[in-house]
Amino acid sequence: MTARYPEALAAAVERCADEPIHIPGSIQPHGFMLVLDTDLRVLQASQNVDEWIGLSPQNLLGQPLQELIAEPTLPARLAALAEDDRNPFHLGDVSFARGTAGGTSFALMAHRHDGQLIVELERASNPGDAYGNLYPLMRTFVTQLHAAEDLQSICQLAVLELHRITGFGRIKAYRFDEEGNGQVLAEHAEPGYSSYLGHHFPASDIPAQARRLYRENLIRVIPDASYQPSPLLPVINPASGAPLDLGFASLRSVSPVHLQYMRNMGTLASMSVSIVVRDRLWGLISCHNHEPRQVSHETRTACELLARILALQIDATETAAQALRKLELRRLTVRLLGGMADCDSVTEGFRSMPEVVLAFAAADGAAVVSADSCVSVGDAPADEQIMALAHWLGAHVPNQLFSSDNLQRDLPLLPELARHSAGVLAISISRLHAHYLIWFRRERVRTINWAGPPTKQQDEFSGALTPRNSFDTWREELRGYCAPWDDAEREGALELRSAVLGIVLRKAEEMAQLAGELRESNKELESFSYSVSHDLRAPLRHIAGYTELLGELEGDQLTERGKRFLGNIAEAARFAGTLVDNLLSFSQMGRSALHLSDVDLTALVDSIREEMRPDYQERQVEWRVEPMPVIVADAAFIHLVLRNLIENALKYSRTREQALIEVGASQQSGETVVYVRDNGVGFDMQYAGKLFGVFQRLHRMEQFEGTGIGLASVRRIVERHGGRVWAEGRLDQGAAFFFALPQLTYTTNLDDRKE
Amino acid sequence: MLKPILLVEDNPHDLELTLLALERSQLANEVVIKRDGAEALDYLLRRGDYQSRDDGNPAVLLLDLKLPKIDGLEVLKTVRETPALRSIPVVMLTSSREEPDLLRAYEMGVNAYVVKPVEFKDFVAAISDLGIFWAVLNEPPPGSLRLKRTRRIEELDD
Repeated sequence: MTARYPEALAAAVERCADEPIHIPGSIQPHGFMLVLDTDLRVLQASQNVDEWIGLSPQNLLGQPLQELIAEPTLPARLAALAEDDRNPFHLGDVSFARGTAGGTSFALMAHRHDGQLIVELERASNPGDAYGNLYPLMRTFVTQLHAAEDLQSICQLAVLELHRITGFGRIKAYRFDEEGNGQVLAEHAEPGYSSYLGHHFPASDIPAQARRLYRENLIRVIPDASYQPSPLLPVINPASGAPLDLGFASLRSVSPVHLQYMRNMGTLASMSVSIVVRDRLWGLISCHNHEPRQVSHETRTACELLARILALQIDATETAAQALRKLELRRLTVRLLGGMADCDSVTEGFRSMPEVVLAFAAADGAAVVSADSCVSVGDAPADEQIMALAHWLGAHVPNQLFSSDNLQRDLPLLPELARHSAGVLAISISRLHAHYLIWFRRERVRTINWAGPPTKQQDEFSGALTPRNSFDTWREELRGYCAPWDDAEREGALELRSAVLGIVLRKAEEMAQLAGELRESNKELESFSYSVSHDLRAPLRHIAGYTELLGELEGDQLTERGKRFLGNIAEAARFAGTLVDNLLSFSQMGRSALHLSDVDLTALVDSIREEMRPDYQERQVEWRVEPMPVIVADAAFIHLVLRNLIENALKYSRTREQALIEVGASQQSGETVVYVRDNGVGFDMQYAGKLFGVFQRLHRMEQFEGTGIGLASVRRIVERHGGRVWAEGRLDQGAAFFFALPQLTYTTNLDDRKE
Repeated sequence: MLKPILLVEDNPHDLELTLLALERSQLANEVVIKRDGAEALDYLLRRGDYQSRDDGNPAVLLLDLKLPKIDGLEVLKTVRETPALRSIPVVMLTSSREEPDLLRAYEMGVNAYVVKPVEFKDFVAAISDLGIFWAVLNEPPPGSLRLKRTRRIEELDD
């Protein structure tokens, strides 16, 4: 709220908050005061004792109490006052043995504070009043309270009851928000009193030190704002050497600013009753009367009791509402987690039930951010904005939870985001990465009816605060805010977070286990394929060898058909041999360690072209080889990769009159991407995923020979380097094969990269 | 008199095909055949059944990697560790290039290896290249590394 004040005014408000209202040095004159030492002798007396009992204060000083009040049990009752209950306690009605008020009965209230025994005396009232006040309070008010369902009706009941007990002209109950601004929840106003129901009162109306007193001292009465304060004599307490702390005295004199405030409001009597819930000043019931109005101590006691009952009921109602909201949140959490578990993915679960996600935080939009992807539901900002927010959170918010009900104020770096959503609630769902669940709320423009402009005014001359003199409705539009995130939502979000972390962790464990099992079975498969290939090779060799010998030695005796059969046998054996060889080297790739070295891609491609020249020297082949970088990789393996790709490019472009083969590389975001492109027969993209599998072929043997292992080897080698492969092509329009290798260093641990 | 070639091979088909390949490469050397590692070592070290054989090492030892009783690597190890045998050229015969033991064979000082190709013609070529180099020639005369293989196969049937 301070942002609203000009600087000088802010300083004045500060001074107001500094005003030592607990040591005014004087009292209100509707009663009188005696301060006693441990021997019950008078240390200080209010000047108005003279008017009340006809004894001058100077004469009273040093007098023992027993000589003033002939009440034999009084000393014992005073001694029994508890040191820690600082609220004035009614010790009975007394009369004075000396002075002029012999027959008058006074209600004696006493309390200890700061080592002092403070005795306040007021005119005693009819004892029947107390019964008249308390009995209906107990009988009807408490019963009705239980039936009331919300805070508003509870407060309304309290207001009406207070009116009945005290007869004040206007009684309003208001609640303080987090900033200390009060909003009138319930009101009873007699004709002639203006209504403030629904209005707001700025926090600055009640300075901090007054709030503190309100919290500790539940009731405060000013019967006549035009009173003349009666000073304490002597001003300095002789025992402590300091002004007497009247913080808990019911007669404590009022700050002149406050009296002015009351006169400005047109009320001469006021009473405030604090609503303290769990040690917090939850609200205040404020009673006003145009005319001065006395409130007896019995009535005050009844009001105080009412305030305590009211606070209990408010606490119960709020707790019940919170419990309900928590229950609802938990129900939604369970549904969300169920969805996530069913989909086996936080993101998918999130995506599958947008209405639950949004209901969870009563949000307009929501998003889940993981790694570099973002999935949003409802009315969420653009993905870039969400990613920017996630980056900001990652860099600036170490906490598990972040919430703001005004992004414009809290996150001025991202104005675009604030333009879309006024508020955000985010929880991190990874201990390591910037992964978040985020909810967004739109702006909710609030119109606040202030009771007068929410600023105090400054006296032009002195610079001191003058309480404002207008209480006409003053409308303010609050922009840039969303509905505030409440504690239940924040707590619920944190609970959801730990549950989601559980899912993510379990998932990671499962993945790790799966990866381990896969590695094991891969190893077994490799050794199996190795031994199979190895053992297969010998019989194939024998078939081929003997077939050839048979042809040589006995060929003459065979028919042409027989010779053709023999040729087929030999060819089949040869092919099977190649297949086995390729399989063997494929399995080898999974087993042998990578030997990293500098690999000059350009030189490598040149040497492969040279090696393969016999295969294409009869053909028209146009090569377009761009200069390529030197990378760190296993030279022999990368040789195999490029050889395979170039071999394929040559093979599948051989039906072209003029084959065109392009090879090049680019380096981008930590990767080297190499491509080999041809203008050959291409492939249908729907099979693109199958290209790199073992024994996957897209062509008949007569069209293009091959064992279906080449590209599988390419993929295996590239993946062992921590890279990836992909292909693009169109039927009869050529094909392009890509592999991307991470930019490795000699210290890169490739086994880790495989995880 | 040419020193013999010692061929150690357990598989009968491989044995026959290797012999044919040697035949076709027109090597005049006698071929001594042993069927497992133990027998080969007995022959080389002139012990057991071979106590009384004539003195002298073979011109080259063609050694299959996988052998019964004592395998090829073990034979190689013994040859390299025995002063009298150390100078014998050893050619490893193997079923595939991916043989993990091949590396160890190299570490133990094998002179060459032959991957038995599926294609018989290739096998003959490989054997004759190696056989000629290690068994016949100290220095191959220019242009004559590969001899013409004109001998009739029928002669083998004898």
